[in-house]
Amino acid sequence: MDDLFGEEIVRAEALKKTFTLSRKQQKIEKTTLTRKVAVDGLSFSAYRGEIYGLLGPNGAGKTTTLRILSTLIGADEGDAWIMGHSVRKEPAEVRDRIGFLTSELKLEGFFTPDYLFDFFGAMHGVEKSVLAARKQELFSRFGIGSFAQVKVGDLSTGMKQKVSLVISIVHDPDVVIFDEPTNGLDVLTAKVVTDFLAELKAMGKSILLSTHIFSLAEKLCDRVGIIIDGKMIEDGALAALCGGKPLEEKFFEIYRGVKGEIL
Amino acid sequence: MKIVALMKKEFHRFFHDPRLIVTILLPGLLIFLLYFFMGSMIHSESGREMRVYLSGDSAIVDFLGQQIEGRGDKVEWIPLENEEEARAEIKEGKATAILTFTKDFDLFGEDARVGLVYDSGSETGSYFYSLATSVLISVGMRFPIDVQTVQEGGNVGMEILTSILPFLVVTFVFSACMSVTLESVAGEKERGTLATILATSVKRSHIAIGKIVPLSCIAAIGAASSFFGVIFSLPKLMGIGFDVLFAGSYGFLSYFMFFLLILSVVPLIVSAIAAVSALAHTMKEASGYTGVIMIVVMVLSFVSLAADGLGSWAVAVPVLNAVISMGNILSGELVLWQALVSVGANLLYAALLVWLIARMLSSERVMFGK
Repeated sequence: MDDLFGEEIVRAEALKKTFTLSRKQQKIEKTTLTRKVAVDGLSFSAYRGEIYGLLGPNGAGKTTTLRILSTLIGADEGDAWIMGHSVRKEPAEVRDRIGFLTSELKLEGFFTPDYLFDFFGAMHGVEKSVLAARKQELFSRFGIGSFAQVKVGDLSTGMKQKVSLVISIVHDPDVVIFDEPTNGLDVLTAKVVTDFLAELKAMGKSILLSTHIFSLAEKLCDRVGIIIDGKMIEDGALAALCGGKPLEEKFFEIYRGVKGEIL
Repeated sequence: MKIVALMKKEFHRFFHDPRLIVTILLPGLLIFLLYFFMGSMIHSESGREMRVYLSGDSAIVDFLGQQIEGRGDKVEWIPLENEEEARAEIKEGKATAILTFTKDFDLFGEDARVGLVYDSGSETGSYFYSLATSVLISVGMRFPIDVQTVQEGGNVGMEILTSILPFLVVTFVFSACMSVTLESVAGEKERGTLATILATSVKRSHIAIGKIVPLSCIAAIGAASSFFGVIFSLPKLMGIGFDVLFAGSYGFLSYFMFFLLILSVVPLIVSAIAAVSALAHTMKEASGYTGVIMIVVMVLSFVSLAADGLGSWAVAVPVLNAVISMGNILSGELVLWQALVSVGANLLYAALLVWLIARMLSSERVMFGK
């Protein structure tokens, strides 16, 4: 595998995650079951310099998988390795090597992008001189300089997402994990984000992203994994997986095969 | 470095937000204004005429007389001949008090005692009582003051200093700790900004310490504001002068231990509120839990009023130990080992809570459970 795809950067093996459902959640899910399997024996690998996309409908287990890989939550069973470090046994080592962007992680509205960049740089142990150079580079790349001293709470959604993005990679991680990175963004900001993902790939970074936007996956991803009900249904290079069909068509074909008709 | 950055962030959050600064300092100012004006209303009168029966002699009498006359009041010292008649006069409002000194009182021997009988139901009597007890405490010597009131209900005035003040101090400390900790821990958890820090490689114990230490410092500023609000308004409230309140009354060690006790309670309460804030999903839920802590702290403070009946085991009970030691200090009876053990015990409990918070920050169920 390594010879074919390059160095294995991310490896997930038989990940399983179960959540207890509250009564309220049982009502929403319309079930009497007290536990829900969010991720069910999920395995996949991602390689250096590629963009790997996790595709699936809402509730399929994409975000839960990324949260396990970023060590925010633990798997009930199985393990994953980021650059050889176990998310289960060496969470701090993993956190130093990844940049995680998700809507769940927010920035304190009271502080400015400038302050937060320095703060999170310190959290990752980035040297001050390196941090200053990186701030200049990233702020310039994303046009943050003009609002670097404005409190995050006063910024627009697009501006906030740009700030969140640069802060997630403040420590120049080798692995970038983005959960639905263009969700809720206007077309201009979304383009800035997708262009940057391509740039990161060109820099040799490994990128893992979850999305349900087929066009985004087709445009960016080298390989994709299709998750339905917490299970990895298909996993492979985009072209091989699609077999000449558009990704959207292929996805629904797979979906129907697993779930029957689309409701 | 990471822990320093975490602490700096908390300080930056506080010192760059005028609203938070006002929130933390305002109670002290309000307490001062409230007590000051209450005192002004109570002690607005001057020109009181006091008749005090005196038995024995002391230089303190002259000092007390100067204090009374310095406030525009008059005092007539009458030699005590018949105590029963004098008590009857006090009850009838014809006399203000009886002040008795043992023989050779000014030598401050082992037998030195002061007796004070007054009518706690009379404004002039209470005024004389506050002034006399403050002057007696300000002498700074250890001698028993035997206070009696001709009223059935007993006297409560002096308890402002010895019992109520420690209770007030703990209340102010709690209020200061609550206002900063809830926002910083429960607020950050609810808003998802704590999770962003948890996604970095910083140690959970560093996050806990990086919150508790600066929050304790900030809360200590708030507590100090309230404390000084009380201290500076007390003379007005009690109708006495600063000179009486501070004239060498307790000594440096007593003041130092008093502040040390306050400082030991601050991280303890901050840690306790931070722990329940980490546990809660929302600020609202955290406020509910904090209410329970507040009740526990208040009960412990009240229990201290019966401190005489408590054994030395009380020194191991958080908050209660500090309140008892503060009361002792204000009564001029500092028990150094007790105060030091109290400070140590409170800091130990705070450290245990910090450890617990670090465990909570590592817990997926606590931090990300729905």
